[in-house]
Amino acid sequence: MATITAEHLTMTYAGRTAQDPITALDGISLQVAEGELVSLVGPSGCGKTTLLRILAGLEQPTSGHYQIRQRDPDRPPVAMVFQQAGLFPWLTVTQNITYGLRLRGLAAAEQAALAQRWLAAMSLERFAHSYPAQLSGGMQQRVGLARAFAYNGEVLLMDEPFGALDAQTRLLLQQTLLETVAQTRQTLVLVTHSIEEALTLSDRVLIMSARPGRLIGEIGVPFARPRDAITLRAEPAFSALVAEIWGSLRAEIEQARQAELHAA
Amino acid sequence: MNRNRWLNLLSPLLLLLLWELAVQLGWLNRIFFPPPSEVLVTLWNNLTSGQLLYHMGMSLMRIMAGFLIGGIPAIALGVLMGISPTVRALAHPLAAAIYPIPKIALLPLVIVVLGLGEASKIATLAISVFFLVVLNVAASVLQVDPRHFEVARSFGAQQRDLFWTVALPASLPGIFTSIKLGMGFALTLIVGVEFVGANEGIGWFIWRAYELYAIDRMLAGLIAVALMGWALTTLLDELERRMLPWQTTRTPRTPRTAQKKGTHLMETIRKWYRLSRPWSYTAAIIPVALGTIVAAYHGAFSLWLFALTLAGTILLQAGTNFFNDYYDYVKGTDNNESLGTGGGIFQGGVPPHHTLIAGMICFVVGSLIGLYLVSVAGTMILWIGIVAVLVGFFYTAGPFALAYVGLGEVAVFIFMGPMIVIGAYYVQIQQLSLPVLLISLPIGFLVAAILHANNLRDLDNDRKVGKRTLATVLGRTGANIEYYVLIIGTYLSLLVVVVLGIAPWITLITVLTIPTAFRLMRIVSAETEPHALQPVLRQTAKLHMQFGTLLVMGWLIAWVLEQVI
Ligand SMILES: Nc1ncnc2c1ncn2[C@@H]1O[C@H](COP(=O)(O)OP(=O)(O)O)[C@@H](O)[C@H]1O
Ligand SMILES: [Mg+2]
Repeated sequence: MATITAEHLTMTYAGRTAQDPITALDGISLQVAEGELVSLVGPSGCGKTTLLRILAGLEQPTSGHYQIRQRDPDRPPVAMVFQQAGLFPWLTVTQNITYGLRLRGLAAAEQAALAQRWLAAMSLERFAHSYPAQLSGGMQQRVGLARAFAYNGEVLLMDEPFGALDAQTRLLLQQTLLETVAQTRQTLVLVTHSIEEALTLSDRVLIMSARPGRLIGEIGVPFARPRDAITLRAEPAFSALVAEIWGSLRAEIEQARQAELHAA
Repeated sequence: MNRNRWLNLLSPLLLLLLWELAVQLGWLNRIFFPPPSEVLVTLWNNLTSGQLLYHMGMSLMRIMAGFLIGGIPAIALGVLMGISPTVRALAHPLAAAIYPIPKIALLPLVIVVLGLGEASKIATLAISVFFLVVLNVAASVLQVDPRHFEVARSFGAQQRDLFWTVALPASLPGIFTSIKLGMGFALTLIVGVEFVGANEGIGWFIWRAYELYAIDRMLAGLIAVALMGWALTTLLDELERRMLPWQTTRTPRTPRTAQKKGTHLMETIRKWYRLSRPWSYTAAIIPVALGTIVAAYHGAFSLWLFALTLAGTILLQAGTNFFNDYYDYVKGTDNNESLGTGGGIFQGGVPPHHTLIAGMICFVVGSLIGLYLVSVAGTMILWIGIVAVLVGFFYTAGPFALAYVGLGEVAVFIFMGPMIVIGAYYVQIQQLSLPVLLISLPIGFLVAAILHANNLRDLDNDRKVGKRTLATVLGRTGANIEYYVLIIGTYLSLLVVVVLGIAPWITLITVLTIPTAFRLMRIVSAETEPHALQPVLRQTAKLHMQFGTLLVMGWLIAWVLEQVI
């Protein structure tokens, strides 16, 4: 049974003039099974963020519909991890982690216990009472992950969560994410601009076209879980898949660049 | 860096020196340009006579009142304008049109409506502060990063959550900035307002000096205004630092080694300041403030005497804390295991007899201030002072240490409640009255509750070491009941005083703290572990502070209203 079902999602934004609307998404249909880990890759500006925002309920599609089937009515349907962590600078690390829990009205003791658990899982105990501005980018992103995991949505939506980090930090966090999702068995939709990251973290990679965003292909990832983010890269099959996805994307990226030049 | 700081001082100093020389050598007319040395002497004389302080106090009172009346509604409306396009569309054109009018130009109109009294001055200030703050606050809410709202919505935030958890906290820095702007503005304005038809205040002081052609007094007044501005700005900066800790942490702290020399003295002062348990000062500040404001309400107020009373009381409090540290150490009740916030000897690695000396210094200086107050307010203060010193010292010292024979709460109730309130009241007005005793009861209950929360937490440990507190005598159940009695007594005694018509009804704003009080009683009823009870101690102290602040504010508002109407 699919957890996420989307049919013919289209999103059109008013452009600079009324005659010139921007079609960000054009008839996206997809299904994600429960517990499945899916990645979305595509040239920048193709509508990846828009798709996630629709799934997170932050925006209404212009047409088409989608459904997120909730198995447990007591759990929130989705939890989102934002590109730049999206922490509230006026809250401490702990308060950031419990933000969603507080809105849901959880008892203080439960909030504290969950915060404790996820602070520990992300090795953040020492920074429980620090403010985001005191943390490095990698630590901030760990807080963002801890917040989403503590919120415990049935589906995790992540928008280029590690995009702004250096390569080492990125690898470590990918490993953390792999291990955590293996435990929580959540469904994951991950947007990334890194093909390697998509292959490392997911069961299936969806490839999007340049704007207007359409799905132009998908690739099943054959590597068994649990995986190791570092040794995986050494496998020959890994680089073969990277090359294959590159092949599909290259034309799209070229097209997106042409469109940008044209617009400028 | 350091060199530049000296250069910064150099040019004004040179200018002053040149000025002084020019007058002394007869190049400048002494009547029009009194030399800096003369101005300093005048300033000093006017300060020590209490005159200048009185006028500064009056101006400050007007600024505060104008700020409360104009600033608070401005913040509320400003935030609403920031988040609601409808409110913005309705209010913005009007506010933007009135804002540029020089507010001093409104004074004649306000005087026509409200008369020459206090009300017109405060109203002029309130109006100008209002328009300045409302526009700035609205602008800062509009500037909140929209991504914060997105994140909040993704975690299910509804409209009101967006207001309380995003719009308000995110725009607090902007709100602070506009308050600071408003403060500078108010200071400029108050002087102008007091030029016209006032009989006191710093503006009047300067104008009067002009009428008498006392240029030195005029300049002294100007320095006083500068000092007030500096003090208010520093105060607001400090408040901002405390209320917005996430702002100041943005800049990483410079490593210790970079500063080193020259700050050694500051480090020492800071260390001893910390060891004196500054968080406990509110226990002294609140009763002093209460006694003073009640006296003001009854018709007598001197800022100078208030400042002295406050300083003396805080010094006695700090001294008591040092003695407590020392004797707890000597008697072996504090050990490395104790969770207590004291134990500077253990935690700070300070030689024990240094603590004893620090306590004595505090007591000596505090007593000197006390003696001055005795010379002003009479021997009654002497008796209160002597008893306070004795209780402070014998609280933990001596064979019959009050804290060890189960009388801690009683002593604290009497001396940190009614005694200080009555003392501070007496200093101002030189008479005793039964109503003041009743008014002070809630503070007594609460301060006793702080101590009791401490004893509740340490109950098991105190039993082991044989420290007798009321809690160990009563046992766990009895001790819990004692806590409820103290908390409920707080609110009940205030209610009685209000119903009797002794306190203005507005002091009932203290009910805002009732939810906290309930939460604390619930924790006490459920927990026995020291670690679980630790927050109760901290939060009871916080309750005391919040309740006390609201109570004093209630009286302050009542007093201001009395002045205005
Ligand atoms: N609120 C908006 N108004 C107008 N255009 C938008 C808006 N949000 C996104 N777009 C446009 O939609 C397209 C897709 O954006 P986005 O989903 O952010 O792409 P991606 O995340 O794949 O880089 C872009 O061309 C962007 O300019
Ligand atoms: Mg994007």
